[in-house]
Amino acid sequence: MISRWVSLLAVRAAARLAVRLIKIAVAAALIVAAAPVSVCAAISVWAAWLAGWPPARLYRAALWCAPMVAVWLAAIAITRDWASAIQAPYQAWRAMWRDGAAGSYPAAAAAIAPAAIPAGLAVGGLAWSYRIRSMHTGSGGLSPAAAVAFDLRQWRHQARTARARIAAPGSVPLNSRNGDLIAGAAIRAVSHPARQIAAIPYQRMRSHQVVIGTTGTGKTTLLLRLWAGFVASALQRHSAGTGGLPLLVVLDCKGGGDARRIADRARRVLRAAGAAATAIWPDEASLSLWTLPPSQLITTLVDLIEHGTGGAAYYADIMEAVVGLAVDAPPGPPQATADFLARLDPGWLSMAYSASEHDDAHALIRAAGRQIGDVALRFRTLFRRLGTGLDGPGGFGDADAWYCILEGTGQASVAESQARALVDLLASYATAGPARSGQAGRGREILLAVDEFSAVSRRLPIWQLYERARSLGLAVQVSAQSWQGLAADEDERYRIAAAADGGIWLLRTPHPEPVAALAGSRQVMDTTRRLLGVPVWSHQGTSRMRLAPVVDPALIRALDVGQAAYIYRGGATYVQVKRLVAAPAALGTPAVGLAALVDGRAVAAAVADGAMAGPRAPAANGAASTTGTPAAPVPPGLTALLDEAFGKQAPP
Amino acid sequence: MYGVQLDHLAKGLDVTQARARAIAAGWRDRRLAESARLGPGAPWIWLTRTGLASCGLAYSPAPPALARLAHIRAVTAVRLALEPAAGYAAAGAYWRGERRLRARAGGRVGLREHFPDGEVHWPSGAAVAWAGECWAIEAELTRKTVSRTMAIMRELLTRTGDYGCPAAGARVPGRPARHARVLYICAPAALSTVARARDALGSAAARIEIRSLPPDAMLPSPAGPRGRSVRPSASPRKPGPNVAGTAVGRDASDQDASERAAP
Repeated sequence: MISRWVSLLAVRAAARLAVRLIKIAVAAALIVAAAPVSVCAAISVWAAWLAGWPPARLYRAALWCAPMVAVWLAAIAITRDWASAIQAPYQAWRAMWRDGAAGSYPAAAAAIAPAAIPAGLAVGGLAWSYRIRSMHTGSGGLSPAAAVAFDLRQWRHQARTARARIAAPGSVPLNSRNGDLIAGAAIRAVSHPARQIAAIPYQRMRSHQVVIGTTGTGKTTLLLRLWAGFVASALQRHSAGTGGLPLLVVLDCKGGGDARRIADRARRVLRAAGAAATAIWPDEASLSLWTLPPSQLITTLVDLIEHGTGGAAYYADIMEAVVGLAVDAPPGPPQATADFLARLDPGWLSMAYSASEHDDAHALIRAAGRQIGDVALRFRTLFRRLGTGLDGPGGFGDADAWYCILEGTGQASVAESQARALVDLLASYATAGPARSGQAGRGREILLAVDEFSAVSRRLPIWQLYERARSLGLAVQVSAQSWQGLAADEDERYRIAAAADGGIWLLRTPHPEPVAALAGSRQVMDTTRRLLGVPVWSHQGTSRMRLAPVVDPALIRALDVGQAAYIYRGGATYVQVKRLVAAPAALGTPAVGLAALVDGRAVAAAVADGAMAGPRAPAANGAASTTGTPAAPVPPGLTALLDEAFGKQAPP
Repeated sequence: MYGVQLDHLAKGLDVTQARARAIAAGWRDRRLAESARLGPGAPWIWLTRTGLASCGLAYSPAPPALARLAHIRAVTAVRLALEPAAGYAAAGAYWRGERRLRARAGGRVGLREHFPDGEVHWPSGAAVAWAGECWAIEAELTRKTVSRTMAIMRELLTRTGDYGCPAAGARVPGRPARHARVLYICAPAALSTVARARDALGSAAARIEIRSLPPDAMLPSPAGPRGRSVRPSASPRKPGPNVAGTAVGRDASDQDASERAAP
């Protein structure tokens, strides 16, 4: 009985072995028979592994071969007949073996290439897809750690390919033909379409965005690229008649020498992207606080002064009343700081409101008479600390980009006041557009980029900035060195990150978990297999669905310089950011008035007006030969010239 | 100009085709130019590095791209039609080709911009109503979409800076437009699309002129007048030692011409 049982087991094992050997033999025979396809598939899988390509790339390559196959078959059908075209792959296969046997290997390769290359690419894509899937689910590999090693190796390969792509000249332009912004080369995509180039639609730049990355991770490079892309795309859309002129306002809330260096880089990069003028505030350009509408000016002036709550509210009310009297005085709102400070005087106010219809104002002046001097003292101190940056001339309409440097690290309270004033000015410009700037801001597409705004957000909470921006149609891009740097408290941070409709850019940071959690999770297959002994796995196991984070915090912590994860709608694309290099700025055009400090357009206007008329003849170096206004519809004689050259105008 | 066909060269030099062939052969013998049958019709002639240098041009020497032969011929035909016009010569107008514009732009990368097929500059002192203007020339052989044509028209009409200027100067609001007028010279297939695009532009349409291509602007059909099929040559080939006394890449008539031109 036992011997029969043992012999049965032996027979069963032998049968299993035989079946397995037959399977291997059949597979080997198939591989050899379809040798060209097998070779092409092996090469394509090897290339995909080496470059970290997704399988879709191999499928696309196979599809791109379709025209070649079509032409090949059509040529056979035309030169012979349709039956030959149908049999062509088989005949090519036979010819390949025949030529190969005769030692004519190039002829054999040429005969089979039209059929073998697309088929090989498609088979390679399937094999590579199977390999990736088995490694991701944990059902492939020789050792338990194979899946992890495979993923890390693929990341290295993908990053290397992306670095090579951005190093190739011209391979990563600033924006695509349809106006999308190109940030760099895509390393890997999770729940996003896999593409070689990481492009984001222009509309994302018209929504709020968040950028987080520690110092030295390439955050500035990324920001400069996004800003330049925004300007270039917006100008492209404007020239196509589908959008307004762009306005980029950057609030660098750290200040210091580093901010000046970045401002210079920004100016050069933006100039190359098409921004005619980039104003650096307050070093080279100024804005005028006094262009604000009177009601807004009162609120802004009062908010610039720090005042407490409780009993201090009494003094705040007095201050507001005095400022209101000074701004709403019958001679009109003040035009400069000196003008405003001169009005903070009981004598001036009494004289301004001397008419009999201003009895209420007189009563107010009498009541606040003793405090007016204190209010003047506080404003005199404030404006001395603020400097001349807000005392004009100038407005946001004077330049295509403003880089505002706030000394948030060195002089926090001053920077807070400046931030408040700048935001109010921008809001006012976006809604109405000061008449003196000559360009209304209502139609402009405005991006407000704030870096480390939390340093100056005590007076103006950033969520309030978000809300105001949303109502004004402004897009806000908040950047910080860490999650904690986004805002003062956790609620505010989550509110900012959750409102980032345009996506979140995450560079290397030591605490990425909150943002990674916001990216959400995805379903992945998890497979367990039985370990029979190191390193032998059995073919038995179980699989189950589990949720895995879309963004792996460990990967974020390990990102290299210039690498970023773009998180949007529950997916992430890892990007190798392409650094923008711009030539040093050319020497400036001779200044025309004060506005020329910041505005190349003033010079252009002066040229157009004849104030700086240049030569009108075609210059030897190819300068434009026209400086006049656009031509009249059809000047006399032009039709005759064209008729002589090309004949009469043809009807369409 | 990237290259010219022999019949256009003859027309440009105002000589017979035989004489033009001899002149081209002379250039070729002095290594100033190369010639080959790149496509249907007459042979193409283009300048070598030495030829470009002798003209004071620093372009990259290359034969005309096969895919652009028809377009290059059309642009040349437009230029040859415009230059003999009485008003053109009298005004001292100046043609600036796409190759020159691209050379000025150099290797600037980042932004994509459309280059016109040529520009005509009218000196300020000329006795024409459009003196001082710069016109953009577009030769249209095939039909694009209306939106794409409109985008190109807008780009040409709103440009303010020269090609090769910093991107910031390319379009400066308030500055006068670089191209006072855009001249579209169209094949029949493209005519209706260009007209529709112009009509959709609104007030700017007044600055666009549309005309038909001259009769000699199109490449002849592949079966030439002698019924001989033409085999395109991807690149010019130099005389090889294996072909004694015959320059590979030249056809028999070219060879005859070069022999006749030899002193």
